[in-house]
Amino acid sequence: MFAEFGVANLRPLLDGAILTLYLVAMSGFFGTIIGLVFGMARVAPFAPVRWVAATYVNFIRGQPVLIILLFLYYAIPLMVPSATFARGPTAIIGLSVYAGAYIAEIVRGAIESVPRGQGEAASALGMGYLLRYRYVVLPQAMKVAVPPSIGFLISLVKASSLVSVINYVELTKAGAIVSNLNQEPLVTFLVVAALYFALSYPIALFGRWYERRLV
Amino acid sequence: MTFYFGDILPYLPILLKALWVSIYVTVAAFVAGSIIGVPLALAKAGPSRLLRTVSSTYIEVMRNTPLLVQLYLIYFGLGQVGLNFNPLWSALIGMTLNNSAYTAEIFRGGFAAVPAGLREAGSALGMSSVQTFRYVVLKPGLRAALPALTNQFIILFLYSSAASIISLNELTSALEDLNSETLRTLEVFTYGACLYYATSALIAAGSRVTEKVAFRW
Repeated sequence: MFAEFGVANLRPLLDGAILTLYLVAMSGFFGTIIGLVFGMARVAPFAPVRWVAATYVNFIRGQPVLIILLFLYYAIPLMVPSATFARGPTAIIGLSVYAGAYIAEIVRGAIESVPRGQGEAASALGMGYLLRYRYVVLPQAMKVAVPPSIGFLISLVKASSLVSVINYVELTKAGAIVSNLNQEPLVTFLVVAALYFALSYPIALFGRWYERRLV
Repeated sequence: MTFYFGDILPYLPILLKALWVSIYVTVAAFVAGSIIGVPLALAKAGPSRLLRTVSSTYIEVMRNTPLLVQLYLIYFGLGQVGLNFNPLWSALIGMTLNNSAYTAEIFRGGFAAVPAGLREAGSALGMSSVQTFRYVVLKPGLRAALPALTNQFIILFLYSSAASIISLNELTSALEDLNSETLRTLEVFTYGACLYYATSALIAAGSRVTEKVAFRW
């Protein structure tokens, strides 16, 4: 019964796993940039900046990844025709927007965990906003932000499975296609699950190692 | 390009009905998953090496694979060995198992956050370990776990949208149907985004009220 699953089936799954890794790397990178900017904006001295950042973070954190992706892929091009992208870029933009909101929350928490006196001491030394953040607040905040960010990276690996709804052929979609061809969904999806585990568990182990090293 | 948000209003009851499906699947899976999560948490923090290994393996596997793949395994995979579940039951089973791993970790963290002095005080008063757990550790442990539990509940609610892919008729799937029926793509998904946002904001507000009311002492 399970004889149908062979090397010929494994190949597309491995290709899918590589694309999943690519999606996660790209959206993790852009998500971190968005998260840093909006996380700092959440605690900015100028109130309207804080409001804009809070709206983005709270709204996206209340949306399923699926809705973000469907919205970007089907609805946004109607409003802004020039914002019509292929599946790959749409997937990366969607996951980055999603990741940005969660990372912004992590960054905000990390910045707030730095004692106020640190920032005050820096401004007493005559440092402006940018210098203060660059040399005093952010280096300390980043240490706090890394463990939860690694935790979120695991969520991102799993969230990337949802881009199969816009027909981007990453690991999960590859599994769906392969199982349609070989009619062996059980083995196929067990292999898919094992590949996800192989992608995500090392990240979890790294996170734990890093956290232990920190204390 | 003009948009007609009013055109979608007549369909609002359909969307609300579908939102109700999302909510009750989430609530059922969350409650069942939390019930399974408690023994998992106790096993992981317990003295038996075997139970520790079993529960942490289960937790790691569940937490490191996507819910969607778990749903595929239950809906399509188990069908192959003769266990056929309809979309609703597949979603319930998958979300419950998935959620149990997360709540187990949250409970473990919550109970670990209770100061050891409280346990010692309990046993100094002559309470058994069960009594100490029930009357001393449980409430502060749950209070410590509440913010993380709320987060997990919201995340589970948002991820219930993945069940649309195994054709459960919840909100996301209703939105996709309505989109192909009316072709008012932007309007339909805007309604959907607002419904999801409003529900998760309500859950967060509910949790803050619970924290104030249920954990006042």
